This record gives sequence, structure tokens and C-alpha cells, in this order.
Amino acid sequence: MTERPSIGASHSTSGIRLSERTWGYLLASPAFLLVGLVAVAPIAAALWLSLHRRLPVFGVEEFVGLWNYVQLWSDDRFWAACRTTLYFTALSVAAELLLGFGLALLLDGLTSGTGGSPRWAQVMIVVPWAIPTVVSAQIWAWLFQPDFGLLNYLLHQVRLITRPIDWLANPDWAIHAAIVMDVWKTAPFAALLLLAGLKTVPRDLYAAARVDGAGAWQQFRHITLPLLMPVVVIVLIFRTMDAVRVFDAVYVLTGGGPGNSTETLSIYAYKTLFQTLQFGYGSTLATAMFLIVAALSSLYLLLLRRHLQETT
Amino acid sequence: MMIARAVVTFCAALALGCAPAGDRPHDPNIVLVFKHGKLSGDGAILSNILREFERRHPGIVVREELLPSSSDRQHQYYAMNLDGGQAPFDLLGVDTIWVQEFAKAGWIASLEKVLPPAEREQFFPGPIKAATFKGQLYAVPWYIDAGVLYYRRDLLDRHGVAPPKTWPDLVHAAQRILDAERDPRLAGFVWQGKQYEGLVCFALEVLHSNGSDLWGGDRARAEAGLRFLRETVAGHRITPVSVGMADEESTRQIFGSGRALFMRNWPYAWSLFQREGSLVRGKVGIAPLPSFPGYPSAPVLGGWMLAVPRASAHQQEVGELIRFLTSPDAQRLVALGLGYNPTRRDLYADESLVGARPLLKDLYPIFLEARPRPVTPYYLLLSQALQPEVSAVVVGRKTPREALDAVRRQLTRIVGSSDLPVAVEGL
Repeated sequence: MTERPSIGASHSTSGIRLSERTWGYLLASPAFLLVGLVAVAPIAAALWLSLHRRLPVFGVEEFVGLWNYVQLWSDDRFWAACRTTLYFTALSVAAELLLGFGLALLLDGLTSGTGGSPRWAQVMIVVPWAIPTVVSAQIWAWLFQPDFGLLNYLLHQVRLITRPIDWLANPDWAIHAAIVMDVWKTAPFAALLLLAGLKTVPRDLYAAARVDGAGAWQQFRHITLPLLMPVVVIVLIFRTMDAVRVFDAVYVLTGGGPGNSTETLSIYAYKTLFQTLQFGYGSTLATAMFLIVAALSSLYLLLLRRHLQETT
Repeated sequence: MMIARAVVTFCAALALGCAPAGDRPHDPNIVLVFKHGKLSGDGAILSNILREFERRHPGIVVREELLPSSSDRQHQYYAMNLDGGQAPFDLLGVDTIWVQEFAKAGWIASLEKVLPPAEREQFFPGPIKAATFKGQLYAVPWYIDAGVLYYRRDLLDRHGVAPPKTWPDLVHAAQRILDAERDPRLAGFVWQGKQYEGLVCFALEVLHSNGSDLWGGDRARAEAGLRFLRETVAGHRITPVSVGMADEESTRQIFGSGRALFMRNWPYAWSLFQREGSLVRGKVGIAPLPSFPGYPSAPVLGGWMLAVPRASAHQQEVGELIRFLTSPDAQRLVALGLGYNPTRRDLYADESLVGARPLLKDLYPIFLEARPRPVTPYYLLLSQALQPEVSAVVVGRKTPREALDAVRRQLTRIVGSSDLPVAVEGL
């Protein structure tokens, strides 16, 4: 440890004596304040609201403690929404990661092979990500049309189906239609992050591996994948958080139907909060969602930490 | 003399002071903010009416502020802004199903004086009922809507089939014509089966035309009504499965492209079918919705009304604006220019109007019978509980019995078992 004057000591001439630690907190306080105002305060307010039965339309406002949470436990619609949300999340995130990885490798190969960067390919790939979700949901609603939609036409042309599929009106298909749309929209996002990660992998590692006689798969398995793991986890965290909270894509496409088969937690919370104005119970739903997202993110971070410990 | 003059002056002052507020000169520069969902068609027609109101009431300026036409969004906007007890507007357009809720919440003012009971006789009874909360009027009906049956006149004529009066008739007619036409792209009967408010409307029309309803009535008959919805798709096979995702516009497009025999929809679709270039121009008929044998047709009431936030500081002036907007002259202009249907009954005998829009003659008896959706402040809760359950019946996920049980369970949780009888009063 080298000797250095503490910041507090340097300020002693002005008559204020502050330890280094206090100074640190003081300097960080604007950041704390900002985070507190925009993140912590609303969460605390929602938590507080979730302990009330509040129906402003009927002048009902009473503190009910954990009553809403007890109700939540026995609310079939909540559990159905949980199942739908987790199913949607698992399938769409997995597909986005795989597809994103494929796209990223493809783009990386293109750029490193020719030496120049084919920007058109990169631009083309981000287009779905750039279109507002509500607009792309409308477009997909047309593509999913059973009689004159493009998707059924194409599937019919390649003889995968003989009868048109009712993508959105069939409760078994509808959630998958939503997943297809979500994957189309967000796989490019995963691809971009992964591509950035690929660019940081030192090229000489591959050269060395080739010298050692490693094939393409072995290079991928032992060089690319381990080095990319932190980026993969970041993609997983981002995409999982977004997928658990999915709202506009599904809401525009199906409105939660048919028969609630596509009602995600966000849609249920939205209908409870804003369409029927049950502020207390709606906040309970939002809190439950927050807890699920927090739990999943912590899980990922834990996995990442373990992975990093193992590799170093 | 002096005393006499003083007395006269005093009396005059008194008289002036006591004069009804409407007679006193208006405060200069009163701005009335009129918030409403965007009407379809030429916006200039409504603003011309408002300019005419300003011309007749110097010192009052009316400012229109438009909301998106999605009624969910409008409801959300109003709820957020009225809940605080202050409102940045003086007049608002409300859906018929919101009046009870807004009145119960104390958000909108009683309009008893704006439209006295004697004058209400001139309006259709359905909207007046929907706008009356605890014996007082809280909104004035602006334009009216009701569910109707569209049919392909040409195809029915070709097969010698009369427009059906009952649901079994409709099923038979559709099956017969579909069998004869052998056109795989032609559907028998399309309606709004998506999980949203429109599905609740059609479900209520079927239930009401069976003498049942969702709550108080005969439970077995209510289940039979819901079963009919499913059977059009699964048993009778006159309705495509895709109806489970259909709203007003998508059914209008199916029917408008000549791919359906019958359609349940609101009257707005009529003028679109008669436009130049329409594939079904001159081939469409309109009739009251069928019913089950022995029961009357039961179209659901739709439409919009005008209401005033309790917080508005200009109750008097905005009352006059409502009277002006719902006057026969203004309603005639809106009906002619924008195609919205008047809420005043006598306009349906008005030659200048009916001459230009002969359809109004057919609509008159339908509007007269139009039945409001359950008139209760809890309507939106009820509808939100109903939508997924009825939708589950339509796509074959639940039996009508399971669906009705689930609705009851949800409502009990939301409003509490003690309040439940109040909530479902009049269902």
C-alpha cells in the first residue's frame, strides 16, 4: 500500500473534516438520489398500494395487509398468466439466443472473410428490431390471417400444411404465433450484442487452435463459447426481463385471447389496473411480476459468477 | 318621488340579481374544453356546429380536444383525469357503458336540469335508461348504435330464402345456401368472437334473445345461449373458426369482400358497403337480429353520450352546449355529414334526413328495442371477467357451465361476497 493523503485530510484546511468513506457517499449521492427517485420510489409505492384494497370508482380505500397476496394465491387467472408468461419466455428467449448466435456467426464470418464490413447485412438485420412493436404486431396479424395471410400461403406452397392453420383463433396456436413474432423482432438484438462480443475474441487464439489441429466445432466449443459467456448471460438477462414483461406484441396481436390462452402477466396487470381500475390488486400483480423478474435475473448472475470462478 | 324611484331601482336590481343565470350576459372569454374520441369522417362538420354555438353565445369559446378513437384508451384517460377531483375539460364524450361507473364515482354532474324529464320522451328509451343513475340523468345521448343483422340479399333471393327471424332459421338458411353454392370461400355467419368487449355484446344479444341473462335468469337457458355461440362454429359449421379472433372490422372485411352470407355488426358498415367499388354494393340487406322462437329480438345498445365533469366551473354554459349539440338541427347535420345516428326519435320521421338516408327507417324499430348492457357501475369489471370465459366457450376450451362458474368466482373475489348482489343488480 502506498501512502497517499486522504481526500478528507486535504479538505481539513477548510474546516470540514470528512472521512474518505463519507466523501465517497457524498459524491455518489446524486446518483443514489436519481436511482431512488426513478426506481426505488415507484417500486415502494406499488408495494404500499398492494397492501390496500383500492377501487377509486367505488370510493373503496382500505388497508388490508397481505389480503391481496392471499387472493393472488387462489386466483386461477394469475397462475394461468404465470404459466403463459414463463412458457412464452422460455421458448422465445431460447429461440432468440440460438437464432441470434447463428446470425452473429454469419455476420462475423462475412466481415472477417472479405475484410470489408458488409454494412447492408448488418442494417438489414436490425430492421425488425427498429420497427415499433405495435406496427410489427399489426403486420404479423395480417401475415397470420388464416385465409389470405402470407404465412399459410407459404406453408401451403412448400406442402407443409394442407389446411390453413388458424394461427390466432386457435388457443393452442395463438401463443406460438406470438412467440414467432417476438423471435423475429428480437433475434437481431441478440445477434448485435453477440456480434460485438465476437469482435473482442482475439483472432490469434483461433490461429493457435488451428495449429494444434482443432476443428471448427472444437474452436467454437473451447474458444468462442467460453469467451462469449458473459455476453450470452447479458443477452439472457435482457431478453428474459423483456419477455417476462411482454405486453404490446401480444396485446396487439391477440388481446390475451382466445380464452385467455395468451394472457401474460403484464396483460392481466394492465387489464386489472387500467381497464377495471383495481389499483390495489393490480399493484399486487405488478409486484409479483417484479419478484419473478428479480428472481430470474439473480439466478443468471449467480450462474455467471460461478462460471467466471470456474474459468479463472 | 325620490323614494319611489329608489324602490324601483332596488326592485330592478333585485330582479336582475334573481334572473336566471342563463339570461345574464356571459362572462367574456369563457373557454369550454370539449374532450371526445375522434369521430370518423370530416372533422369540419362538428367544428362548424361548434362555431355556430359560439356565434350564438358571444363570449364563449369552445375548444375541441381529441382523444384516440380506441375506447379503452379514452376510458383510461378519463379515469386518470377525473379521479383527482379536477378535470382539464368541461365536456366529455362517454360510452354508454361508462355512465353508471362515472356517476357512482362522483366524477360527472347530474344533468337533470339540462334535459328535463318531459324532454327525455323525445329520445330513445334505451340510452336514457343507460344514462340514469339512482333516478337522475347523468349524460345526454349524443348518437346511438345497436347490433343488426346484415345479409346478402342477392344470395338469399337466388335460393328463395327470406331473411331469418329466428336463430334456427338462420342456421337452416345458411346451411342450405352453403350446400347449394359449394363455394369453399363463402362463410355462413360471421360475428365478433375475439376476446374483447364486442364479444360480450354479441353474447348478450344471444342470451337476451333467449329470455335469459347472465345472472338472475334461468341458468339452463343461459348455458343454452352460450352453447349456441359454440355450435355455430363446431356443430352447425356455419361460422369459420377464425371468428375466434374477429372484431368488427375484420368481419366487415370478410362480408365486404363477398365471403359471408350473414354478419352481426353495427350499422356503420352499411354506408361502406354501398360505396363505389364495394364488391357487395346493392347486394346487402339489413334486418333485426334473430331470436330464439317465442322471444323478441334483443339488439345490444351502443353509442356515445355527453357528460360534464363535476369539477367544471362552467356548468351553466356547458349545459347550453349540450342542449345545442343534441338539438334536432345539430343531430341532423351530424347524421347527414358523418353518418352517426340521432338519439332523437322524431328525426326518424324527418323527410330531409330520411330522404337522404333511407336506412334510418329500418333502424328505427331496432333502436327502439335496443337494450343496454347491464346497467351497473360494475359493468367494466363484469365485462372483463366475462370476456375470457365467453371466448373460452367459443373456441371450445370450456363448457358454458364452467365459464359461468368462473365468472361468478372472479366477481366474488373482486367485489367481495357481501357486495356481489349489489354488483350484479339488474344483470
